[in-house]
Amino acid sequence: MPTEDCKKYFEALELSPDAPLSEVRSSYLHLKALYSNDSVVTSAIAYELSEEKRHDIVEQVEEAYTKLIDFFENKDTDPAGSEKPSFVVSEELKQYISGIKSFSGGLLREIREKLGVNLKDMASFTKIRKQYFEDIEREKFSSLPAEVYLRGYVIEYAKYLSLDSIKVANDYIERYRNLGCDK
Amino acid sequence: MNNGAQDKRCEIWAIGGGKGGTGKSFVTSGIGTHLVSKGKRVVMIDADLGGANLHTFLGVSKPRNSLTDFFEKKVPLNNIIVNCSIPDMGLVSGTLSSLDSENIKYVQKLKLFRQIKEIDTDYILIDLGAGSHNNTIDTFLLADKMIVVTTAEITALENMYHFVKNVFFRKLKITLGAHGLKDMIQDVWKNRDVHGIKHLKDVVDHLMGTSTHIRDILEKELSSFRIYIVLNQIRSGRETMIGVSVKSVCLKFLGFNAMYAGHIEYDETVLRCINKRLPFMLTHPFSHVAKEIGKLTENLRDGRQASVMTDKYAHRRL
Repeated sequence: MPTEDCKKYFEALELSPDAPLSEVRSSYLHLKALYSNDSVVTSAIAYELSEEKRHDIVEQVEEAYTKLIDFFENKDTDPAGSEKPSFVVSEELKQYISGIKSFSGGLLREIREKLGVNLKDMASFTKIRKQYFEDIEREKFSSLPAEVYLRGYVIEYAKYLSLDSIKVANDYIERYRNLGCDK
Repeated sequence: MNNGAQDKRCEIWAIGGGKGGTGKSFVTSGIGTHLVSKGKRVVMIDADLGGANLHTFLGVSKPRNSLTDFFEKKVPLNNIIVNCSIPDMGLVSGTLSSLDSENIKYVQKLKLFRQIKEIDTDYILIDLGAGSHNNTIDTFLLADKMIVVTTAEITALENMYHFVKNVFFRKLKITLGAHGLKDMIQDVWKNRDVHGIKHLKDVVDHLMGTSTHIRDILEKELSSFRIYIVLNQIRSGRETMIGVSVKSVCLKFLGFNAMYAGHIEYDETVLRCINKRLPFMLTHPFSHVAKEIGKLTENLRDGRQASVMTDKYAHRRL
């Protein structure tokens, strides 16, 4: 994408051109909610802020977000060294994964091994220590960091394996809470 | 003077916001107290000539001098700065005995502005009154940092929008006027239906399109134009997002830059302190409110946006 366009999209989301993806997401969600719904902020200036103008803004914001998501995806795959390996997920494995009710450390390890992914690659790609991933698989909760961080690590783990990261994280954190984090 | 040329002039901050009762004077006194605690010299000016009471927030019951002396007895501004209970803080009280505050002559106004700029101090904080009178707006535009205080109520937001719109419109007028184009903006606004102009942002866009000369003038002046938003008396974490939202509306519909400087949560203790004439920042230095004022003051000083953690904040009750 030409840099000028890119700048325009960042501007539409009220961000500086070097803003990270996380800010693009949160700004998009905020602006979309702000101009799609009524709130004190917009109704206080309602006589100027017409329905159609608001609609235009929502469209601009949507467009900017879609374009920027593309931009970030292309950007991430650019550096040749740290590319995430593509792997083929067999139908059989897909079936198996979709049948899983609740993800545990052991199951994650099983899926990873079936996909032929090693933890070292995962660690260097995600910039998260290999030790943490090992502990996640072993459910060695006492050596894992606080829940907010752990959640982030599990999400990265799941994303790397192209799993539904939110579900995996929710399941895993639930186990973490139930099975003891009494350190 | 002796510290080199860089810090020769003091920085002027003006606090306005349109609606009365949103806490402008409280916020002003809080910011001033915080700056003093950081070793700065501060002069507070109460420019709410109709209903001056900044002194009450600073523990002064009856100021010895006030702007009456300046306007009526021609006393220099420097000589009517009184001490308050906080060391290193001076106060110019706005209590007027008889003067009709809306009829201050143009010459007097210019003289006041000139003398404000000449005060020997680090920061000058100007507390403005409610309303969008031209005198109020011109005083606001005098400042290096223009700060509006609003609460999360719709009435406060309405008046705040009205105020900042007038400020911005006047700024455009003055900017163009300085280049011999005084009537241009009024003409555009009068014929807004012809030009298909609905709001202030359209006016700016229209003006920018008229010629490259005007475009250059406006771009230069407006890139430094910035309004800082302070949210006062908020009752839930969710309400902090209002600051970010207001910023967005200013940018997208009014056509100027705004920055959300921070919030102050609602606290009954503040009211109790005001009623007892106790300077809240000194009596409750470790309260949430005092910390929030400290944080927003530093954001203002550095020209930095308050950090809002959308998800985390949304579920927290204050």
